Amino acid sequence: MDKKKVCMVGDFSVGKTSLTQKFVNNVFSEQYLTTIGVKIDTAIVDETKLIVWDVAGRDSLSPINLSYLVGASGIALVADGTRPETVDDLHSIWDTVEKRIGKVPTVVALNKRDLPEWSVTPEQIQSLKERGWIVFETSAKEGVEVEGLFTQLCRLIQ
Amino acid sequence: MSQLDELRRIIVGGNADQLADLKNRIESLEHRTNDVAEVLSPAIDKELASGGDRLVESFKEPVSRSLKQAIRTEPAEYAEILYPVMAPSIRRAISQAISSLLLTINRSIDSATSVSAWKLRMQSWRTGVPYAELALRQSLVYRVEHVYLIHRDTGLLIKEISSSDTQTLDSDAIGAMFSAIQSFVQDSFTAGNDSRLTDLKVGEYNVWVAHGAQTMLACVITGDAPEALKQDLYDTLDQIRTDYSIEIARFQGDSSSFDGADLAMSNLLQVRLKDIDEKQAARKSKVPLWPFLILAAVLLFVGYHWFERKTLLDTANHLLDNQPGIATTHLFWEDDKIVVQGLRDPDAKIPFATLESYGISESQIDLRTIPFRSLEVGMELQRFTEELELPSGVYLSEREGSIYLYGEAPFLWLQHNNNRIRQLAADRRLNISQLSPSYESVSDLLEQSFSKEDLARLKMSSLVVDEQSVLVVGGQLDIQSLTILQVMFANSDWVRLNVQPRPLKSES
Repeated sequence: MDKKKVCMVGDFSVGKTSLTQKFVNNVFSEQYLTTIGVKIDTAIVDETKLIVWDVAGRDSLSPINLSYLVGASGIALVADGTRPETVDDLHSIWDTVEKRIGKVPTVVALNKRDLPEWSVTPEQIQSLKERGWIVFETSAKEGVEVEGLFTQLCRLIQ
Repeated sequence: MSQLDELRRIIVGGNADQLADLKNRIESLEHRTNDVAEVLSPAIDKELASGGDRLVESFKEPVSRSLKQAIRTEPAEYAEILYPVMAPSIRRAISQAISSLLLTINRSIDSATSVSAWKLRMQSWRTGVPYAELALRQSLVYRVEHVYLIHRDTGLLIKEISSSDTQTLDSDAIGAMFSAIQSFVQDSFTAGNDSRLTDLKVGEYNVWVAHGAQTMLACVITGDAPEALKQDLYDTLDQIRTDYSIEIARFQGDSSSFDGADLAMSNLLQVRLKDIDEKQAARKSKVPLWPFLILAAVLLFVGYHWFERKTLLDTANHLLDNQPGIATTHLFWEDDKIVVQGLRDPDAKIPFATLESYGISESQIDLRTIPFRSLEVGMELQRFTEELELPSGVYLSEREGSIYLYGEAPFLWLQHNNNRIRQLAADRRLNISQLSPSYESVSDLLEQSFSKEDLARLKMSSLVVDEQSVLVVGGQLDIQSLTILQVMFANSDWVRLNVQPRPLKSES
């Protein structure tokens, strides 16, 4: 079986871990996120085993540990649809990521679609699509589009 | 002949034929093949004579590929060819494995009764780890539990082998986690430095990691492995790197082309058991457990037997000593009988039924007592009850160390037992202050002897005389009847008469 490394990247508290939890086989506890800054899980999609690196979120105090992204076959950029600034941040995050690992297949998850505070503008979505990314409006809570996100990412990297 | 040919003949002279021949040889495939075949063997010999390194390097890849292809297409044929070579090795390996297993079983049986074995059983029960696994761990100097071949950049697991199936986590996730920890340590502590994490120690587990340019080999070890294992680790990594250089360079996540790598890795699954001498040396200070077990069993048996007999003796002593009329001084076992020494009132009863309920039969009791008269309250009560044959309405009971005979007694019974009762009362063995004759018994007696007219003239009342209740019969009777009455109650302590003679009627 083919194995591929994929990384979940985004700002702090956008729901990366929740999205991952919804889809993968939990192997390690979430404590790893706060200790070494990454949690690794696995999932099988279309005969491919995804090794999902859930990288701790970026905030003002700690940048993303780019070392964890090296060797990734695909990236899932995750933003919080109720915090528009996290959607805008995806551009700068991607620039940083690209500098380190180059262009790799990427999908975008605008998470928390189930919340009434949803405030992503069509312009924001358009700007993401213009980069060639497929955008998913996900809800980790209700499981909406989560499988689609990982399946699409898997197809892109196969 | 053309002018050109003429010119060529003048220049090259007699060599023209040789040139034509050479041209023919060069252009002819058959000639060229013959020429190469002629020089190939001496050329190889010559190269081998000078070391043959270049030749090996050139042939390594094509020979390897050819062999792989050939084996894939005709595995049965190759298996047959290799059988004579492989079979002895396989037999030897199986034989060694069986010997090792027998040795382990022998050790386990040998240590089945030792203190450490019991400790292990307790540990096994407490932790849920099988006893055999714990026993093996104790016999181990070290054991390589798992070996992981990991692609450095992606952290993807290429191959994994284990010495046991104890691991329950996803190997791919573990492989990736090794890579993550590697990155974490490198970024956190050795920024800008190429140093790499080579050792990890967690509890009884050691993780040793050998790093190559594109791969790393991590092995998880229990116990204290020798430093030589590190060299083996690097040698194995080098071998894999050499054998699979192309596959490693092209690795994108498909590890199927590394199928033979686990063979090289399996050399690392080393186990070293403690030497018997080493174990024996460790045991020198140990005393075998079985004599203690036997001694403990004997002591336990003797102790239990002693305790059981002591308990029976104490029980018998307690029951007998508390029995009225029995005063034990010494009880002891003689053969299978309890000998009782002390004093015993002949009227005292032995509580055989109670003793029986505690497992002491009547035949087990051997009374060697001296008879005596017991004045214990209980004994007195028993004795008075039997002697006085109490009628209804009369009771005997013990209060504050004294025996009370009380109630309303039939007059005739009182009269019959009067002497005995009075004597006991005088000896202060009986308190009769609350004993009195019953109205009914005296009344019945009077009814039997007197007419209704006489009875109508009599009255009964009670009176306490010298702390004794008595009945007083008062009234008037004619002389004749009075005389009968006085005879009836003459000398009675229980009925007093206060009857006056009735004046006779005038005979007018």
